[in-house]
Amino acid sequence: MTPMALFATATALGLFVLSGGAYGVLYGAGSLRSSRLLTRAGYACYGLQLLLLLAVCLAAPLAGLWKVFLIVSGITYGFIPPATWRLLHALHHRSEAEP
Amino acid sequence: MYRSQRLAVRYFTAAIALFGIMTAAGLLTAAYYLQPSLLYNVFDFQMAKILHINTLVIWLLMGFIGAVYWFLPKELEHEVVGIRLAEILFYVFCAAVAVVAVVFILVQYGSSNQFSMWFINQGRKYVEAPRWAALGIVVVVLTFVFNVVATAVRARRMTGILWVLMLDLVPLSVLYLDAFPQITNMSHDLYWWWWLVHMWVEATWEVLIGCLMAWSLMELLGTSRRIVEAWLYIEVMLVLGTGILGLGHHYFWIGTPQYWLSIGGFFSALEPLPLLGMVVHAIYDAGTHRMQTTNRPAFCWVLAEAFGNFIGAGVFGFMMTLPQINLYSHGTQWTVSHGHFAFWGAYGCGIIAIVYLVLQRTRDARFFDSRAWKWSFGLLNFGLVGMVGGLLIAGIAQAVYERAQGGSTLQAFVVATESPWFQSGMYVRLAFGVVFALGYVVLVYDLLTIGKRAPVAATQVVSA
Repeated sequence: MTPMALFATATALGLFVLSGGAYGVLYGAGSLRSSRLLTRAGYACYGLQLLLLLAVCLAAPLAGLWKVFLIVSGITYGFIPPATWRLLHALHHRSEAEP
Repeated sequence: MYRSQRLAVRYFTAAIALFGIMTAAGLLTAAYYLQPSLLYNVFDFQMAKILHINTLVIWLLMGFIGAVYWFLPKELEHEVVGIRLAEILFYVFCAAVAVVAVVFILVQYGSSNQFSMWFINQGRKYVEAPRWAALGIVVVVLTFVFNVVATAVRARRMTGILWVLMLDLVPLSVLYLDAFPQITNMSHDLYWWWWLVHMWVEATWEVLIGCLMAWSLMELLGTSRRIVEAWLYIEVMLVLGTGILGLGHHYFWIGTPQYWLSIGGFFSALEPLPLLGMVVHAIYDAGTHRMQTTNRPAFCWVLAEAFGNFIGAGVFGFMMTLPQINLYSHGTQWTVSHGHFAFWGAYGCGIIAIVYLVLQRTRDARFFDSRAWKWSFGLLNFGLVGMVGGLLIAGIAQAVYERAQGGSTLQAFVVATESPWFQSGMYVRLAFGVVFALGYVVLVYDLLTIGKRAPVAATQVVSA
Protein backbone atom coordinates (compact mmCIF):
# COMPACT_ATOMS: atom_id res chain seq x y z
CA MET A 1 0.00 0.00 0.00
CA THR A 2 1.39 3.40 -0.94
CA PRO A 3 1.50 6.13 1.71
CA MET A 4 -1.16 8.10 -0.17
CA ALA A 5 -3.43 5.05 -0.47
CA LEU A 6 -2.97 4.35 3.25
CA PHE A 7 -4.01 7.87 4.16
CA ALA A 8 -6.92 7.99 1.70
CA THR A 9 -8.29 4.55 2.66
CA ALA A 10 -8.12 5.21 6.40
CA THR A 11 -9.79 8.61 6.00
CA ALA A 12 -12.54 7.13 3.82
CA LEU A 13 -13.17 4.35 6.35
CA GLY A 14 -13.39 6.84 9.22
CA LEU A 15 -15.79 9.02 7.24
CA PHE A 16 -17.77 5.90 6.31
CA VAL A 17 -18.60 5.20 9.97
CA LEU A 18 -19.03 8.90 10.76
CA SER A 19 -21.67 9.25 8.02
CA GLY A 20 -23.37 6.16 9.44
CA GLY A 21 -23.45 7.91 12.82
CA ALA A 22 -24.81 11.12 11.27
CA TYR A 23 -27.49 9.02 9.56
CA GLY A 24 -28.47 7.51 12.91
CA VAL A 25 -28.60 10.88 14.66
CA LEU A 26 -30.58 12.64 11.92
CA TYR A 27 -32.92 9.71 11.39
CA GLY A 28 -33.61 9.65 15.14
CA ALA A 29 -34.08 13.42 15.34
CA GLY A 30 -36.35 13.31 12.28
CA SER A 31 -38.52 10.53 13.71
CA LEU A 32 -38.70 12.29 17.05
CA ARG A 33 -39.88 15.60 15.60
CA SER A 34 -41.73 14.03 12.69
CA SER A 35 -39.55 16.19 10.48
CA ARG A 36 -39.22 15.06 6.89
CA LEU A 37 -36.31 17.43 6.38
CA LEU A 38 -34.24 15.83 9.14
CA THR A 39 -35.15 12.31 8.02
CA ARG A 40 -34.14 13.16 4.46
CA ALA A 41 -30.90 14.67 5.72
CA GLY A 42 -30.36 11.35 7.50
CA TYR A 43 -30.91 9.42 4.28
CA ALA A 44 -28.54 11.84 2.52
CA CYS A 45 -25.86 10.92 5.08
CA TYR A 46 -26.54 7.25 4.39
CA GLY A 47 -26.21 8.03 0.67
CA LEU A 48 -22.85 9.65 1.39
CA GLN A 49 -21.87 6.54 3.32
CA LEU A 50 -22.72 4.38 0.30
CA LEU A 51 -20.72 6.71 -1.97
CA LEU A 52 -17.71 6.39 0.32
CA LEU A 53 -18.21 2.63 0.25
CA LEU A 54 -18.23 2.72 -3.54
CA ALA A 55 -15.05 4.81 -3.59
CA VAL A 56 -13.31 2.39 -1.21
CA CYS A 57 -14.43 -0.63 -3.24
CA LEU A 58 -13.24 0.89 -6.51
CA ALA A 59 -10.06 2.64 -5.45
CA ALA A 60 -8.70 1.25 -2.17
CA PRO A 61 -6.03 -1.47 -2.31
CA LEU A 62 -7.95 -3.74 0.09
CA ALA A 63 -8.33 -7.46 -0.55
CA GLY A 64 -11.59 -8.59 -2.23
CA LEU A 65 -13.02 -10.27 0.86
CA TRP A 66 -12.64 -7.10 2.89
CA LYS A 67 -14.54 -5.20 0.21
CA VAL A 68 -17.34 -7.78 0.39
CA PHE A 69 -17.35 -7.37 4.16
CA LEU A 70 -17.58 -3.59 3.79
CA ILE A 71 -20.50 -3.90 1.36
CA VAL A 72 -22.43 -6.14 3.77
CA SER A 73 -21.53 -3.79 6.61
CA GLY A 74 -22.70 -0.76 4.58
CA ILE A 75 -26.04 -2.41 3.87
CA THR A 76 -26.45 -3.30 7.56
CA TYR A 77 -25.90 0.34 8.54
CA GLY A 78 -29.00 1.18 6.50
CA PHE A 79 -31.20 -1.00 8.69
CA ILE A 80 -29.83 -0.20 12.15
CA PRO A 81 -31.44 3.23 12.84
CA PRO A 82 -35.00 2.27 11.70
CA ALA A 83 -34.81 -1.18 13.33
CA THR A 84 -33.47 0.23 16.61
CA TRP A 85 -36.09 2.95 16.57
CA ARG A 86 -38.91 0.49 16.03
CA LEU A 87 -37.58 -1.78 18.76
CA LEU A 88 -37.32 1.08 21.26
CA HIS A 89 -40.76 2.31 20.29
CA ALA A 90 -42.26 -1.14 20.80
CA LEU A 91 -40.50 -1.55 24.16
CA HIS A 92 -41.75 1.82 25.39
CA HIS A 93 -45.31 1.17 24.23
CA ARG A 94 -45.38 -2.25 25.84
CA SER A 95 -44.04 -0.76 29.04
CA GLU A 96 -46.62 2.05 29.03
CA ALA A 97 -49.45 -0.39 28.32
CA GLU A 98 -48.62 -2.37 31.45
CA PRO A 99 -50.58 -1.47 34.59
CA MET B 1 -28.45 6.30 53.07
CA TYR B 2 -26.91 2.83 53.19
CA ARG B 3 -23.36 2.35 54.52
CA SER B 4 -22.27 1.01 51.17
CA GLN B 5 -23.47 4.26 49.56
CA ARG B 6 -21.24 6.23 51.92
CA LEU B 7 -18.44 3.91 50.86
CA ALA B 8 -19.36 4.62 47.22
CA VAL B 9 -18.88 8.35 47.82
CA ARG B 10 -15.41 7.64 49.23
CA TYR B 11 -14.58 5.57 46.14
CA PHE B 12 -15.73 8.41 43.90
CA THR B 13 -13.59 10.89 45.82
CA ALA B 14 -10.54 8.69 45.38
CA ALA B 15 -11.39 8.13 41.70
CA ILE B 16 -11.64 11.87 40.97
CA ALA B 17 -8.34 12.50 42.81
CA LEU B 18 -6.65 9.81 40.69
CA PHE B 19 -8.23 11.31 37.58
CA GLY B 20 -6.31 14.49 38.47
CA ILE B 21 -3.01 12.62 38.91
CA MET B 22 -3.62 10.89 35.59
CA THR B 23 -4.17 14.26 33.91
CA ALA B 24 -1.03 15.78 35.45
CA ALA B 25 1.09 12.77 34.49
CA GLY B 26 -0.41 12.89 30.99
CA LEU B 27 0.56 16.56 30.60
CA LEU B 28 4.09 15.76 31.67
CA THR B 29 4.22 12.87 29.20
CA ALA B 30 3.04 15.20 26.43
CA ALA B 31 5.75 17.71 27.33
CA TYR B 32 8.52 15.08 27.01
CA TYR B 33 7.70 14.66 23.31
CA LEU B 34 8.56 18.30 22.75
CA GLN B 35 11.42 18.50 25.25
CA PRO B 36 12.93 15.00 25.53
CA SER B 37 15.60 16.13 28.02
CA LEU B 38 12.96 17.38 30.45
CA LEU B 39 13.65 15.93 33.93
CA TYR B 40 16.19 13.62 32.35
CA ASN B 41 17.54 11.11 34.88
CA VAL B 42 15.22 12.59 37.50
CA PHE B 43 11.80 11.46 36.36
CA ASP B 44 12.03 10.02 32.88
CA PHE B 45 9.34 9.67 30.24
CA GLN B 46 8.59 6.03 30.99
CA MET B 47 7.82 6.75 34.64
CA ALA B 48 5.40 9.56 33.78
CA LYS B 49 3.75 7.24 31.25
CA ILE B 50 3.48 4.43 33.80
CA LEU B 51 1.85 6.82 36.25
CA HIS B 52 -0.49 8.10 33.53
CA ILE B 53 -1.79 4.74 32.33
CA ASN B 54 -1.93 3.02 35.71
CA THR B 55 -3.89 5.83 37.32
CA LEU B 56 -6.20 5.66 34.29
CA VAL B 57 -6.98 2.03 35.06
CA ILE B 58 -7.31 2.60 38.81
CA TRP B 59 -9.52 5.71 38.66
CA LEU B 60 -11.93 3.98 36.33
CA LEU B 61 -11.89 0.79 38.42
CA MET B 62 -12.58 2.80 41.58
CA GLY B 63 -15.36 4.61 39.75
CA PHE B 64 -16.94 1.30 38.69
CA ILE B 65 -16.64 -0.22 42.17
CA GLY B 66 -18.06 2.93 43.74
CA ALA B 67 -20.97 2.95 41.31
CA VAL B 68 -21.85 -0.67 42.09
CA TYR B 69 -21.67 0.01 45.85
CA TRP B 70 -24.05 2.92 45.25
CA PHE B 71 -26.64 1.15 43.13
CA LEU B 72 -26.52 -2.35 44.68
CA PRO B 73 -28.37 -1.68 47.97
CA LYS B 74 -31.00 0.33 46.11
CA GLU B 75 -31.46 -2.49 43.64
CA LEU B 76 -31.85 -5.14 46.34
CA GLU B 77 -33.22 -2.93 49.11
CA HIS B 78 -30.66 -4.50 51.36
CA GLU B 79 -27.38 -3.33 52.87
CA VAL B 80 -24.32 -4.82 51.21
CA VAL B 81 -23.19 -8.00 52.96
CA GLY B 82 -19.62 -7.74 54.25
CA ILE B 83 -19.66 -3.95 54.15
CA ARG B 84 -17.22 -3.68 57.07
CA LEU B 85 -14.63 -5.68 55.14
CA ALA B 86 -15.28 -3.57 52.04
CA GLU B 87 -14.75 -0.38 54.07
CA ILE B 88 -11.45 -1.64 55.48
CA LEU B 89 -10.28 -2.74 52.05
CA PHE B 90 -11.09 0.66 50.60
CA TYR B 91 -8.49 2.23 52.90
CA VAL B 92 -6.05 -0.59 52.20
CA PHE B 93 -6.61 -0.05 48.47
CA CYS B 94 -5.97 3.71 48.76
CA ALA B 95 -2.88 3.19 50.91
CA ALA B 96 -1.54 0.61 48.45
CA VAL B 97 -2.09 2.95 45.50
CA ALA B 98 -0.30 5.74 47.37
CA VAL B 99 2.66 3.49 48.28
CA VAL B 100 2.96 2.23 44.69
CA ALA B 101 2.82 5.82 43.37
CA VAL B 102 5.56 6.89 45.81
CA VAL B 103 7.71 3.92 44.75
CA PHE B 104 7.15 4.78 41.07
CA ILE B 105 8.12 8.39 41.69
CA LEU B 106 11.07 7.90 44.05
CA VAL B 107 12.49 4.43 43.36
CA GLN B 108 11.25 4.09 39.77
CA TYR B 109 12.94 0.83 38.75
CA GLY B 110 15.33 -1.81 40.00
CA SER B 111 17.49 -4.63 38.75
CA SER B 112 16.00 -7.43 36.75
CA ASN B 113 15.25 -9.72 39.67
CA GLN B 114 12.47 -11.07 41.88
CA PHE B 115 12.80 -8.25 44.41
CA SER B 116 12.06 -5.61 41.77
CA MET B 117 9.07 -7.57 40.54
CA TRP B 118 7.63 -7.96 44.02
CA PHE B 119 8.37 -4.51 45.40
CA ILE B 120 9.14 -1.99 42.65
CA ASN B 121 7.68 -2.66 39.23
CA GLN B 122 6.18 -5.74 37.64
CA GLY B 123 7.25 -4.46 34.23
CA ARG B 124 4.07 -5.21 32.32
CA LYS B 125 2.37 -2.28 30.66
CA TYR B 126 -0.90 -1.16 32.33
CA VAL B 127 -0.29 -3.56 35.23
CA GLU B 128 3.13 -2.32 36.34
CA ALA B 129 2.15 -2.29 40.02
CA PRO B 130 4.57 -4.56 41.92
CA ARG B 131 3.43 -8.08 42.69
CA TRP B 132 2.37 -7.37 46.29
CA ALA B 133 0.06 -4.60 45.08
CA ALA B 134 -1.29 -6.79 42.28
CA LEU B 135 -2.19 -9.40 44.90
CA GLY B 136 -3.88 -6.64 46.89
CA ILE B 137 -5.98 -5.73 43.85
CA VAL B 138 -7.04 -9.38 43.58
CA VAL B 139 -8.15 -9.33 47.23
CA VAL B 140 -10.10 -6.07 46.73
CA VAL B 141 -11.81 -7.37 43.58
CA LEU B 142 -12.65 -10.74 45.17
CA THR B 143 -14.14 -8.97 48.19
CA PHE B 144 -16.13 -6.80 45.82
CA VAL B 145 -17.43 -9.91 44.01
CA PHE B 146 -18.28 -11.48 47.38
CA ASN B 147 -20.17 -8.31 48.40
CA VAL B 148 -22.29 -8.40 45.26
CA VAL B 149 -23.05 -12.14 45.26
CA ALA B 150 -23.60 -12.44 49.02
CA THR B 151 -25.93 -9.45 49.06
CA ALA B 152 -28.04 -10.91 46.26
CA VAL B 153 -28.19 -14.26 48.09
CA ARG B 154 -29.07 -12.65 51.43
CA ALA B 155 -31.69 -10.38 49.87
CA ARG B 156 -33.18 -13.39 48.05
CA ARG B 157 -33.77 -11.19 45.09
CA MET B 158 -32.38 -11.08 41.59
CA THR B 159 -32.84 -8.71 38.67
CA GLY B 160 -31.77 -8.88 35.04
CA ILE B 161 -29.15 -6.16 35.49
CA LEU B 162 -27.72 -7.95 38.49
CA TRP B 163 -27.50 -11.24 36.62
CA VAL B 164 -25.52 -9.56 33.85
CA LEU B 165 -23.31 -7.82 36.41
CA MET B 166 -22.60 -10.99 38.37
CA LEU B 167 -21.78 -12.99 35.26
CA ASP B 168 -19.51 -10.17 34.12
CA LEU B 169 -17.64 -10.08 37.42
CA VAL B 170 -16.36 -13.62 36.80
CA PRO B 171 -14.23 -12.79 33.72
CA LEU B 172 -13.45 -9.37 35.20
CA SER B 173 -11.68 -10.96 38.16
CA VAL B 174 -10.31 -14.03 36.41
CA LEU B 175 -8.73 -12.06 33.56
CA TYR B 176 -6.75 -9.94 35.99
CA LEU B 177 -4.85 -13.11 36.92
CA ASP B 178 -3.23 -12.67 33.51
CA ALA B 179 -1.10 -9.99 35.16
CA PHE B 180 0.81 -12.66 37.08
CA PRO B 181 2.53 -15.26 34.89
CA GLN B 182 6.24 -14.88 34.34
CA ILE B 183 6.57 -16.04 30.75
CA THR B 184 10.02 -15.53 29.32
CA ASN B 185 8.95 -15.99 25.69
CA MET B 186 7.88 -12.50 24.68
CA SER B 187 5.36 -13.64 22.04
CA HIS B 188 3.61 -15.89 24.54
CA ASP B 189 3.74 -13.22 27.18
CA LEU B 190 2.18 -10.54 24.96
CA TYR B 191 -0.37 -13.01 23.61
CA TRP B 192 -1.80 -13.57 27.13
CA TRP B 193 -1.20 -10.02 28.31
CA TRP B 194 -3.59 -8.78 25.59
CA TRP B 195 -6.26 -11.06 27.01
CA LEU B 196 -6.16 -8.94 30.13
CA VAL B 197 -5.93 -5.52 28.48
CA HIS B 198 -8.30 -6.11 25.59
CA MET B 199 -10.89 -8.25 27.37
CA TRP B 200 -11.11 -5.83 30.26
CA VAL B 201 -11.47 -2.79 28.05
CA GLU B 202 -13.48 -4.09 25.12
CA ALA B 203 -15.54 -6.80 26.78
CA THR B 204 -15.96 -6.92 30.57
CA TRP B 205 -15.74 -3.17 31.21
CA GLU B 206 -18.18 -2.52 28.35
CA VAL B 207 -20.68 -4.85 30.00
CA LEU B 208 -20.03 -3.31 33.42
CA ILE B 209 -20.61 0.24 32.16
CA GLY B 210 -23.71 -1.07 30.35
CA CYS B 211 -25.12 -2.25 33.72
CA LEU B 212 -24.20 1.04 35.38
CA MET B 213 -25.77 3.07 32.57
CA ALA B 214 -28.92 0.94 32.84
CA TRP B 215 -29.23 1.83 36.54
CA SER B 216 -28.34 5.45 35.80
CA LEU B 217 -31.05 5.77 33.14
CA MET B 218 -33.64 4.32 35.52
CA GLU B 219 -32.67 6.86 38.15
CA LEU B 220 -32.02 9.83 35.89
CA LEU B 221 -34.89 9.57 33.43
CA GLY B 222 -37.18 7.10 35.16
CA THR B 223 -36.84 4.69 32.24
CA SER B 224 -38.64 1.45 33.01
CA ARG B 225 -36.69 -1.61 34.09
CA ARG B 226 -38.14 -3.69 31.29
CA ILE B 227 -36.73 -1.31 28.68
CA VAL B 228 -33.25 -0.94 30.13
CA GLU B 229 -32.95 -4.67 30.75
CA ALA B 230 -34.12 -5.60 27.24
CA TRP B 231 -31.67 -3.11 25.79
CA LEU B 232 -28.89 -4.31 28.09
CA TYR B 233 -29.29 -7.91 26.89
CA ILE B 234 -29.08 -6.83 23.25
CA GLU B 235 -26.10 -4.61 23.94
CA VAL B 236 -24.25 -7.27 25.90
CA MET B 237 -24.85 -9.82 23.15
CA LEU B 238 -23.56 -7.47 20.45
CA VAL B 239 -20.65 -6.07 22.45
CA LEU B 240 -19.41 -9.50 23.51
CA GLY B 241 -20.10 -10.93 20.05
CA THR B 242 -17.85 -8.37 18.41
CA GLY B 243 -15.49 -7.52 21.26
CA ILE B 244 -14.12 -10.91 22.34
CA LEU B 245 -12.60 -11.99 19.05
CA GLY B 246 -11.75 -8.37 18.22
CA LEU B 247 -8.78 -9.26 20.44
CA GLY B 248 -6.92 -10.20 17.28
CA HIS B 249 -6.63 -6.57 16.18
CA HIS B 250 -3.84 -6.17 18.76
CA TYR B 251 -1.85 -9.15 17.55
CA PHE B 252 0.50 -7.25 15.24
CA TRP B 253 4.28 -7.47 15.36
CA ILE B 254 4.38 -9.85 18.32
CA GLY B 255 4.76 -13.18 16.54
CA THR B 256 1.19 -14.50 16.70
CA PRO B 257 -0.20 -16.62 13.83
CA GLN B 258 -1.39 -14.60 10.84
CA TYR B 259 -5.01 -15.79 11.01
CA TRP B 260 -5.47 -13.68 14.12
CA LEU B 261 -5.07 -10.53 12.05
CA SER B 262 -8.09 -11.36 9.87
CA ILE B 263 -10.18 -12.58 12.80
CA GLY B 264 -9.37 -9.45 14.80
CA GLY B 265 -9.99 -7.14 11.84
CA PHE B 266 -13.33 -8.77 11.04
CA PHE B 267 -14.80 -8.72 14.53
CA SER B 268 -13.49 -5.34 15.56
CA ALA B 269 -14.82 -3.86 12.30
CA LEU B 270 -18.27 -5.00 13.49
CA GLU B 271 -17.92 -3.07 16.75
CA PRO B 272 -19.33 0.25 15.44
CA LEU B 273 -22.67 -1.44 14.68
CA PRO B 274 -23.85 -1.85 18.31
CA LEU B 275 -22.41 1.57 19.07
CA LEU B 276 -24.62 3.08 16.35
CA GLY B 277 -27.60 1.41 18.03
CA MET B 278 -26.58 3.06 21.31
CA VAL B 279 -26.44 6.49 19.63
CA VAL B 280 -29.97 5.99 18.29
CA HIS B 281 -31.03 4.90 21.79
CA ALA B 282 -29.53 8.07 23.28
CA ILE B 283 -31.48 10.20 20.78
CA TYR B 284 -34.66 8.28 21.59
CA ASP B 285 -34.25 8.68 25.36
CA ALA B 286 -33.35 12.36 25.09
CA GLY B 287 -36.34 12.96 22.81
CA THR B 288 -39.00 11.00 24.68
CA HIS B 289 -38.13 12.91 27.83
CA ARG B 290 -38.03 16.15 25.80
CA MET B 291 -34.60 16.82 27.27
CA GLN B 292 -36.33 17.34 30.63
CA THR B 293 -34.29 16.31 33.60
CA THR B 294 -33.63 17.33 37.17
CA ASN B 295 -29.91 16.72 36.76
CA ARG B 296 -28.53 18.48 33.70
CA PRO B 297 -24.85 17.62 34.19
CA ALA B 298 -25.52 13.90 34.60
CA PHE B 299 -27.85 13.92 31.59
CA CYS B 300 -25.32 15.67 29.34
CA TRP B 301 -22.49 13.39 30.47
CA VAL B 302 -24.66 10.34 29.66
CA LEU B 303 -25.23 11.74 26.16
CA ALA B 304 -21.49 12.48 25.87
CA GLU B 305 -20.85 8.85 26.80
CA ALA B 306 -22.99 7.53 23.92
CA PHE B 307 -21.55 9.90 21.33
CA GLY B 308 -17.98 9.74 22.64
CA ASN B 309 -18.06 5.95 22.60
CA PHE B 310 -19.34 5.92 19.02
CA ILE B 311 -16.79 8.42 17.69
CA GLY B 312 -13.82 7.34 19.82
CA ALA B 313 -14.24 3.60 19.59
CA GLY B 314 -16.34 3.37 16.42
CA VAL B 315 -15.07 6.02 14.00
CA PHE B 316 -11.45 6.28 15.20
CA GLY B 317 -11.25 2.51 15.61
CA PHE B 318 -12.68 1.68 12.20
CA MET B 319 -10.21 4.03 10.50
CA MET B 320 -7.38 1.70 11.34
CA THR B 321 -8.75 -1.68 12.30
CA LEU B 322 -8.64 -3.45 8.93
CA PRO B 323 -5.37 -5.43 8.80
CA GLN B 324 -4.05 -3.59 5.71
CA ILE B 325 -4.20 -0.28 7.64
CA ASN B 326 -3.45 -1.67 11.10
CA LEU B 327 -0.19 -3.07 9.76
CA TYR B 328 1.04 0.52 9.40
CA SER B 329 -0.83 2.33 12.15
CA HIS B 330 -0.21 -0.19 14.95
CA GLY B 331 1.72 1.22 17.88
CA THR B 332 1.88 4.76 16.48
CA GLN B 333 0.31 7.88 17.98
CA TRP B 334 -2.68 7.03 15.78
CA THR B 335 -3.59 4.21 18.15
CA VAL B 336 -2.92 6.52 21.09
CA SER B 337 -5.44 8.95 19.59
CA HIS B 338 -8.05 6.18 19.29
CA GLY B 339 -7.29 4.92 22.79
CA HIS B 340 -7.72 8.35 24.40
CA PHE B 341 -11.02 9.03 22.66
CA ALA B 342 -12.43 5.55 23.26
CA PHE B 343 -11.51 5.45 26.98
CA TRP B 344 -12.94 8.90 27.52
CA GLY B 345 -16.14 8.22 25.59
CA ALA B 346 -16.84 4.75 26.86
CA TYR B 347 -15.83 5.09 30.49
CA GLY B 348 -14.69 8.56 31.61
CA CYS B 349 -17.94 10.30 30.65
CA GLY B 350 -20.01 7.50 32.18
CA ILE B 351 -18.26 7.67 35.55
CA ILE B 352 -18.58 11.48 35.69
CA ALA B 353 -22.31 11.16 34.90
CA ILE B 354 -22.75 8.73 37.80
CA VAL B 355 -20.79 10.98 40.16
CA TYR B 356 -23.21 13.84 39.40
CA LEU B 357 -26.15 11.52 39.88
CA VAL B 358 -24.85 10.41 43.27
CA LEU B 359 -24.06 13.96 44.39
CA GLN B 360 -27.63 15.03 43.69
CA ARG B 361 -28.82 12.36 46.10
CA THR B 362 -26.21 12.97 48.79
CA ARG B 363 -26.85 16.72 48.73
CA ASP B 364 -30.57 16.17 48.66
CA ALA B 365 -31.01 18.64 45.81
CA ARG B 366 -34.20 18.32 43.83
CA PHE B 367 -32.70 20.13 40.84
CA PHE B 368 -29.06 20.02 39.96
CA ASP B 369 -27.53 22.68 37.78
CA SER B 370 -24.68 25.20 37.80
CA ARG B 371 -22.60 27.33 35.45
CA ALA B 372 -19.38 25.58 36.37
CA TRP B 373 -20.43 22.15 35.08
CA LYS B 374 -21.01 23.63 31.63
CA TRP B 375 -17.50 25.05 31.63
CA SER B 376 -15.98 21.80 32.80
CA PHE B 377 -18.06 19.82 30.29
CA GLY B 378 -16.97 22.14 27.48
CA LEU B 379 -13.31 22.36 28.48
CA LEU B 380 -12.89 18.64 29.11
CA ASN B 381 -14.56 17.58 25.86
CA PHE B 382 -13.03 20.36 23.76
CA GLY B 383 -9.62 19.60 25.26
CA LEU B 384 -10.04 15.89 24.63
CA VAL B 385 -11.14 16.37 21.01
CA GLY B 386 -8.18 18.71 20.43
CA MET B 387 -5.76 16.24 22.01
CA VAL B 388 -6.95 13.32 19.92
CA GLY B 389 -6.86 15.53 16.83
CA GLY B 390 -3.22 16.38 17.50
CA LEU B 391 -2.37 12.76 18.19
CA LEU B 392 -4.17 11.71 15.01
CA ILE B 393 -2.07 14.10 12.90
CA ALA B 394 1.13 12.90 14.58
CA GLY B 395 0.08 9.26 14.23
CA ILE B 396 -0.76 9.51 10.54
CA ALA B 397 2.63 11.20 9.99
CA GLN B 398 4.28 8.26 11.76
CA ALA B 399 2.33 5.67 9.75
CA VAL B 400 3.19 7.38 6.49
CA TYR B 401 6.83 8.44 7.03
CA GLU B 402 8.03 5.75 9.40
CA ARG B 403 6.05 2.72 8.25
CA ALA B 404 4.79 3.12 4.67
CA GLN B 405 7.75 5.13 3.32
CA GLY B 406 10.58 4.25 5.66
CA GLY B 407 9.90 0.55 6.24
CA SER B 408 9.89 0.76 10.06
CA THR B 409 13.64 1.20 10.46
CA LEU B 410 15.16 3.13 13.35
CA GLN B 411 16.22 5.84 10.91
CA ALA B 412 12.60 6.05 9.64
CA PHE B 413 11.39 6.38 13.23
CA VAL B 414 13.72 9.34 13.77
CA VAL B 415 12.70 10.93 10.47
CA ALA B 416 9.01 10.56 11.32
CA THR B 417 9.32 11.98 14.83
CA GLU B 418 11.27 14.96 13.51
CA SER B 419 8.76 15.71 10.75
CA PRO B 420 6.82 18.98 11.10
CA TRP B 421 3.53 17.08 11.01
CA PHE B 422 4.51 14.96 14.00
CA GLN B 423 5.92 17.92 15.91
CA SER B 424 2.86 20.10 15.19
CA GLY B 425 0.60 17.29 16.32
CA MET B 426 2.49 17.06 19.59
CA TYR B 427 2.26 20.81 20.19
CA VAL B 428 -1.47 20.65 19.53
CA ARG B 429 -1.78 17.72 21.94
CA LEU B 430 0.02 19.58 24.72
CA ALA B 431 -1.97 22.79 24.20
CA PHE B 432 -5.29 20.97 24.31
CA GLY B 433 -4.00 18.88 27.21
CA VAL B 434 -3.75 22.14 29.16
CA VAL B 435 -7.35 22.93 28.19
CA PHE B 436 -8.38 19.47 29.41
CA ALA B 437 -6.51 20.03 32.69
CA LEU B 438 -8.34 23.34 33.18
CA GLY B 439 -11.58 21.45 32.61
CA TYR B 440 -10.56 19.04 35.35
CA VAL B 441 -9.93 21.88 37.80
CA VAL B 442 -13.37 23.36 37.05
CA LEU B 443 -14.91 19.89 37.37
CA VAL B 444 -13.44 19.46 40.86
CA TYR B 445 -14.66 22.94 41.84
CA ASP B 446 -18.13 22.10 40.57
CA LEU B 447 -18.25 18.71 42.28
CA LEU B 448 -17.32 20.38 45.55
CA THR B 449 -19.87 23.16 45.29
CA ILE B 450 -22.82 22.10 43.10
CA GLY B 451 -26.05 21.74 45.03
CA LYS B 452 -24.61 23.73 47.95
CA ARG B 453 -25.18 27.11 46.35
CA ALA B 454 -28.49 28.96 45.92
CA PRO B 455 -31.18 26.37 45.10
CA VAL B 456 -33.14 26.58 41.87
CA ALA B 457 -36.88 27.29 42.22
CA ALA B 458 -38.53 24.12 43.45
CA THR B 459 -41.14 23.99 40.71
CA GLN B 460 -38.72 24.46 37.85
CA VAL B 461 -37.84 21.47 35.73
CA VAL B 462 -34.60 22.19 34.04
CA SER B 463 -34.61 21.90 30.29
CA ALA B 464 -31.25 20.73 28.95
